[in-house]
Amino acid sequence: MKRYLLCAMALVATAMTASAQVQLGEKGGTLSASIESNSIIYLNDKGLSTPAPEGYFGSNNYLKVDYTNGRFSAGLQFDIYAPALQGYEIGPYLEASKFKHIAYPMKYFKWQDKNYSVMLGDIFDQFGNGLIFRTFEDRQLGFNNSVEGLRATYNFNRYLAVKMLYGRPRLYNTYAGSWAGGADLSVSLGDIFRFKQGGLYLEASYANRYEGLHKNQEIDLVSRGMTSGLVNMASGRLNFDVAGVTFRSEYVYKGKDLCTSAASVAKPGQAAYAELGYSYKGFSFSATARMLDNMGTLVSLYGTGTGNALNYLPALTRQYTYMLANLNPYQVNVEGEFGGQADIYYTYRSKSNRYRYWNFHANYSTYYTLHTEQSKSGARERLWQDINFDIERQWSKRLKTTILYSFQEWNPYHGYHHRTYVSNIFVADVLYKFDRKKSLRVELQYLLSGEYEGDWAAALVEFNLAPHWSIYASDMYNIGRDGLGTKKNYYNAGFSFTYNRTRVQLSYGRNRAGYICSGGVCRYSPEYTGFNLAITSSF
Amino acid sequence: MKRLFLMMICALAVSFSLSAQALPDVRIENIDGKEIAIRDLAGTKPLIICFWSTTCKPCIQELAAINDQLEDWRAEAEFDVVAVSVDDVRTSARAKAFAKAQGWDMICLFDANQALKRAMNVSLTPHSFVVGKDGNIAYSHTGYTPGSEQSLLDKVLKISGKTSKTAKTKR
Repeated sequence: MKRYLLCAMALVATAMTASAQVQLGEKGGTLSASIESNSIIYLNDKGLSTPAPEGYFGSNNYLKVDYTNGRFSAGLQFDIYAPALQGYEIGPYLEASKFKHIAYPMKYFKWQDKNYSVMLGDIFDQFGNGLIFRTFEDRQLGFNNSVEGLRATYNFNRYLAVKMLYGRPRLYNTYAGSWAGGADLSVSLGDIFRFKQGGLYLEASYANRYEGLHKNQEIDLVSRGMTSGLVNMASGRLNFDVAGVTFRSEYVYKGKDLCTSAASVAKPGQAAYAELGYSYKGFSFSATARMLDNMGTLVSLYGTGTGNALNYLPALTRQYTYMLANLNPYQVNVEGEFGGQADIYYTYRSKSNRYRYWNFHANYSTYYTLHTEQSKSGARERLWQDINFDIERQWSKRLKTTILYSFQEWNPYHGYHHRTYVSNIFVADVLYKFDRKKSLRVELQYLLSGEYEGDWAAALVEFNLAPHWSIYASDMYNIGRDGLGTKKNYYNAGFSFTYNRTRVQLSYGRNRAGYICSGGVCRYSPEYTGFNLAITSSF
Repeated sequence: MKRLFLMMICALAVSFSLSAQALPDVRIENIDGKEIAIRDLAGTKPLIICFWSTTCKPCIQELAAINDQLEDWRAEAEFDVVAVSVDDVRTSARAKAFAKAQGWDMICLFDANQALKRAMNVSLTPHSFVVGKDGNIAYSHTGYTPGSEQSLLDKVLKISGKTSKTAKTKR
């Protein structure tokens, strides 16, 4: 660990003095890179029921290097774990592999011409809304399902865009042993027929996954209804934008498959998605609705973990930046759910003073079970509801205040029982600028609930000294109610230093167990107390 | 593993010898849902490119601060601001609605699968760049603290061969 800390210090010192990327001569192209390091020294805490992990240390590190020369580009990425941070699902995969500290490196070679591109290597891409295919990386979740293979794209003016890809998807540190591919087509009818009022697009996608059904004798897939190793998925989309109105829609059909690794029977799946938006001056409205029916698609039928997904089915709810409003986030039920959300925004800005304005925002989301067999009663059960609003007021150049209220209702049994927990969350957020460099931000939060863990209170104080320093302290306390709750205190304090494109953050605190959510996908993180060092830099 | 850490340090040490990076050749959606090439935006005037998302509070603070001061800034230099949302399908509809309601006087782009974010080696948001008329990146910074947006204007003025009036008069 000492060696690692020395390396980290050297890295920071070097990064601070670096400032841009390397040009390799007049025609040699350019090199650029980014580095991200997140390390925790775990401490034993008698106030927590979970002991510190063996070795008391974890560190996730990412180095990405790119080379560009005209239309050609290539890159490499190394993910290094020393070992993986506690709670990251890649940890057990690394333990079981030959290389305990490094994932299979990522690489790519790409030629981008005016109307076409060809890429060989690890591919990130998405078809439509990602309902049948999306490969992406999320380091906060330890998630990377890129496909190692070949991709080609072609654009015919603005009229038509087509892309095709095929390869083997990644499952955490290595490749899953399955094969995935597909094609995506977008036709711009608005450009073809020269509509002047807006855009009209007709789109379609096809994706598949192939995996042998007899690779592991201990996992009997055939008796669970998997009759073929090939799973086909197809979608059709209609999108248009006209006179401030935006509409997106998609329907998906999927062949028979196990939608989770625990699913007992393989079933065909389907999904529908619709999105409507409207804006006029300072007002805008947006609504999305979605139905999922057995739509989980695993990278590998033999794999586990939230990263074992070939498509993207995020929770379409509001994602908060406040601690207590994110305590019990909604988790998608890929077996079956339907629901949606709506947002309304309105901004009123003083005509005489740009620094004075009001921002109003209201959001509503709700989800229900889809199938009668999902609930004990056979009825459709509410899985989630959130009614919330926030009002932001910029009073002057110096002072800004925000208040937020959220009524959240969630079903802890994923709809099986007719039972929901209710929370009322109140937030006040004040930002005061002393001058052009110094500012103070204070958050006060309260969660009122007669159920689950009872009441919570939280506060955050942040002092900023632009452009380099930020110092903060926060505390979150479970007050409980009527014998409910843990009465635990979760504290955190730290600072960050930023110099151009390098940021270093050091913090110490006790962290609550719960779901870490990013982009609507959640992974469980155990509680811990410790020091956290995070470094990011690029050149 | 020691070798890999050494590689990481060496990679950064290489950056002592410096030059400018060009904008990558990546196509992403604009607010009307049409795909545009990011390189096509450069060439006539400097650009301030800010990566943001609806779930990133400091990103929204930074863009609001720039928007508040934009009239004053534009009196000093000619440039465009490009706000690149990295919201994926979960929040991209909200990002569009939010940007429209704010009335940002900026070019709003939507990088739903983070192709541009990856190509520009953005690890964390907010992350902002200043791009010269030649399409080369002149400056970038990560993170946001109230007041740090001034460094973006300072760099635009520097590459435009001007000095800041707002920084002197408003301090």
